[in-house]
Parts: sequence; structure tokens; C-alpha cells
Amino acid sequence: MKNLYIFVAVLFIPWSFSLAKYDEFEDGDDIMEYDDNDFAEFEDVNEDAVTESPQRIITTEDDEEEATVELEGQDENQEDFEDADAQEGDTESEPYDDEEFEGYEEKPDASPSKNKDPITIVNVPAHLQNSWESYYMEILMVTGLLAYIMNYIIGKNKNNRLAHAWFNTHRELLESNFALVGDDGTNKEATSTGKLNQENEHIYNLWCSGRVCCEGMLIQLKFLKRQDLLNVLARMMRPASDQVQIKVTMNDEDMDTYVFAVGTRKALVRLQKEMQDLSEFCSDKPKSGAKYGLPDSLAILSEMGEVTEGMMDAKMIHFLTHYADKIESVQFSDQFSGPKLMQEEGQLTKLPETKKTLLFTFNVPGSGNTSPKDMESLLPLMSMVIYSIDKAKKFRLNREGKQKADKNRARVEENFLKLTHVQRQEAAQSRREEKKRAEKERIMNEEDPEKQRRLEEAALRREQKKLEKKQMKMKQIKVKAM
Amino acid sequence: RYKPPTTETNPALEDPTPDYMNLLGMVFSMCGLMLKLKWCAWIAVYCSFISFANSRSSEDTKQMMSSFMLSISAVVMSYLQNPQPMSPPW
Repeated sequence: MKNLYIFVAVLFIPWSFSLAKYDEFEDGDDIMEYDDNDFAEFEDVNEDAVTESPQRIITTEDDEEEATVELEGQDENQEDFEDADAQEGDTESEPYDDEEFEGYEEKPDASPSKNKDPITIVNVPAHLQNSWESYYMEILMVTGLLAYIMNYIIGKNKNNRLAHAWFNTHRELLESNFALVGDDGTNKEATSTGKLNQENEHIYNLWCSGRVCCEGMLIQLKFLKRQDLLNVLARMMRPASDQVQIKVTMNDEDMDTYVFAVGTRKALVRLQKEMQDLSEFCSDKPKSGAKYGLPDSLAILSEMGEVTEGMMDAKMIHFLTHYADKIESVQFSDQFSGPKLMQEEGQLTKLPETKKTLLFTFNVPGSGNTSPKDMESLLPLMSMVIYSIDKAKKFRLNREGKQKADKNRARVEENFLKLTHVQRQEAAQSRREEKKRAEKERIMNEEDPEKQRRLEEAALRREQKKLEKKQMKMKQIKVKAM
Repeated sequence: RYKPPTTETNPALEDPTPDYMNLLGMVFSMCGLMLKLKWCAWIAVYCSFISFANSRSSEDTKQMMSSFMLSISAVVMSYLQNPQPMSPPW
């Protein structure tokens, strides 16, 4: 029951507080007097009285009785002034109707004696104060979340619009060159869906196939993460641009063996470090393309000078110079296996699989602030891609070049084998040990003692033979050394 | 001719953000629940939103929803236990 009183008192306080606030907005001279002495403090005496009295009421959290004790201090002051005012009572109450206010006391003036009363203003816990302002951190958090959601929706829509704008501009060219445009791999047969495949809110894929010399072409529209607010803020520090990545997988018979790359110097340096094939076959640093008439921003990485000569024909140079700002990197490679795999020593027992591919990475102009119109400027780049496919098919190394290329590849393989020699030895050793163990187990498990003896003898004979063979080999090596 | 390669390589290798954010979100919401820290719970809500925004379409929505629900429950529980508003650290 006591808890109930406390609860009622606690509810009572904000209600009374709200009433006090209401009173503040009335005229200062209005006398809203109540019968009950407890409420005497809500009278609008002066500003001081009004601000002090609510605080005093609020201190009485526990008991109403305490409130009355503290209020008595005020009542005394009221009585003091009553006598003084009684004489002037008639004159003062002239503007008011006496009948209305019968029984009400005059409100006392502010008394300085109130300040002498020991007032302990207790801090009200913020959640009991009837104001939203104390929750400002929460409101901040919620607004932050709302901002994130808004940005997500806006970013998603923008990426979507950009992707479809790109596709609409490129659709004709693609459909004229490829039999199959757009396939998401869900159907059993290859049917052209004619739509982009959305992998993410910022990555769109398109698979085209059905052209003469290539297996297929995978186009990835890698947009900026406009849907993620954190990314948007990070981009304000470090501008980046949307990228279009095109990967053409060539048929084995349609491309000769060479590794060649063109692009911005920064991109080439990075690729040389990351890509398996570029790091193994193109050992030199990227050379400037000025020799062939390319702008300074572009550099060339190539396995042999002959390849560069062959690749840099007039049309290619024309493409590269005109659209240099949009080109990030162009890579033709017959040993393409993706970026270097970070593997532990023990796992690398085989060279990674390679495919003949042409890789193109283009930057969408606008560096972040792209609009759908910018997609049209990428159309000539697509024609460059198609031209490159044809060129790669036509280009053949001469005899010297071929020999060099084959030597290079053999060298790389040898290096790899040497590296893994130790691992392969260990693997072979462990296999042999396992075989021996299996045999021994079999011998042990044989219940028939006769059979056991026979198997043991067979094992002994085999070991002797091996020892003899080794001795022969050692003798041969010694003879050769001599 | 052929069908497309379902994105080879490892999408996880290329962008681990959604997985990290998922994990962080769960860790923060656990902290918020156990240690009754309101700011932990709010950060967990943010983490789950970021994870959702960066997620791939092939990913499980159940995982996303569960992390989101966990973070919301962390926030609600912290406020039920202690209705005081958060105070800034300064």
C-alpha cells in the first residue's frame, strides 16, 4: 500500500507541475486562489515565488505530509501580509468582483524571508522529468538511423538507374555481337534473359555468349556503395569512381600465348603485384607508352617487345589515346588465373588453372557523381573490347616469339616445381610410410600363423630389393662422378 | 553456348564487410544485454543496418533478420531495466 501512495505522489507531482506551468502564462496579477492551503503555492505571486514553489513541491517525493510541513513556511508569510493587505483589501480588489473571490486570500507579495528557509533542491532523475529534452542522445541516435535508411533508399535507386542506363545504351551493340545476352545460370538451357543480374545493391552482372572466338564475356558493373552511408562519408575523403569490369574468356585455339597489359601506371603496379600471371611473366616495370604515341598517363607491361609491337596498331592507339581517362587497365593473358592466392606452403602442389582471357577495367567518368548520361560515353569502349577480341584472334607470334614464350612458360613451371619439390617429397614420404603401416597391420591381423610368416617374409624380401636398388644407384652416381 | 559462371573466386574474400558487421553487431548486442550498456545496444543496431546494406543478394535473410532482432531486443531491454536517458561521455 505504501508503494501505491508513493506511486500516486509521483504521479501527482508532474500533474501539479504542469498546472504551475499553466499558471505562468496567465497575467501576473491574476489571483487564482484555492481553498486548500496545499495549493497555495501555485498562486502567481511573483516570478520568484512561481519558480521556487514548484521546486519545493517536487522535493516532496516521499510523503505528502512533508509537503505540508514545508508549505507551512509559506503560509506564515502569507499571513504576515494578510494583515497588511486587509486594510487595502477593498481598494485592491476593486477591479475584481468581490463575490467571485470571497473566501480567497490575498496573494502575498514576494517575501525575502523565503530565501532564509533551508531549501534542498534535489535533482530529479531525468526520466521522471516530464520533458523529451533529456533524451536528446536517443533522439540523435534515431535520427542517425533514419538518415541511414534514407541514404540506403536513395543510393540503391541511383545505382539501379545507372545500371539500367548503361544497359540501355549498350544493349544494341551487345545484341548485335552476341547471340546470348544475359543469363543468370538458373535455367538448365542457355536462354537469353536480356536483363542485368543484380548481385548486390552495387554490383550488376551480365553474361554474354555466342560469339565466334570467345567462350563468353562477363561484364560486371561495380558501382560505388552509394547505399551505405559510411561508404558515402569515406568517399568524401577519398574520391573513387564506378568501374565497369569486362572479362572475355577466349577459346583455347583462338589466342596465342602471350601476356600483355596496358593501363594507368598506378593500376599496373598494383596488378603486377597482385596478379599471378603478370608477376611471373612480365618482370620489368611498366614502361611508358610514349614510344607508341600513348599519353603519359598510360604505361605498358609486356612479356616481349614483339607483343607490344603487335598489339599497338593504329586503331588500338587511337582508342587508347582518346579514352585514356576512362581506361584503368587492359590485360591480355593466356595464363590468367586470377590474383595470387595466399596459400600455405604445404597446400600448393599444383599450378593454378589458367584460362585465356582478356580483362578490361574502365572507370566511369564523373568520379562518383555520375549521372545516367555518362553511360553513353562508355559505348566506344565497348567497341574497343569487341575490336580487341577480334585482334587477339588474329594476332599470332612469329617463330622467335613463340619460342621465347614457350621458354618462359617452361621456366615458370620449373620454378614452381622446385618450390614445391620439398612438399612433394614430403607427401611421397608420408604416402610410403602409410603403405608400410597398412601392410604391417595386415600382417598383425592375420590369425593364421603360417600366413603371417609368409607375409613377413614377402615384406622382408621387398625391403631387401629396395636396399639393393639404392645401392646400385649410389654406385652409378659415384662412377659418374669419377 | 555456355552458361555463366556463378561468381567464381570468393565473394567472401573480396568484401568481408557484411560478415564482420554481423559479428560485431552480435558482440555489441551481447555486451549491451549483459553489461546493461545502452550505447553498446545502439551501436549493435547500427552494425546490423550496415551489414544489411552491404550484404550480397545470395546471403541468407534469416541471418540478417536475427541479428537485427537481437540488437533491437538489446536496446529495448537496456531501456526497460534502466529508463534513464543516455548520458554523453563528455
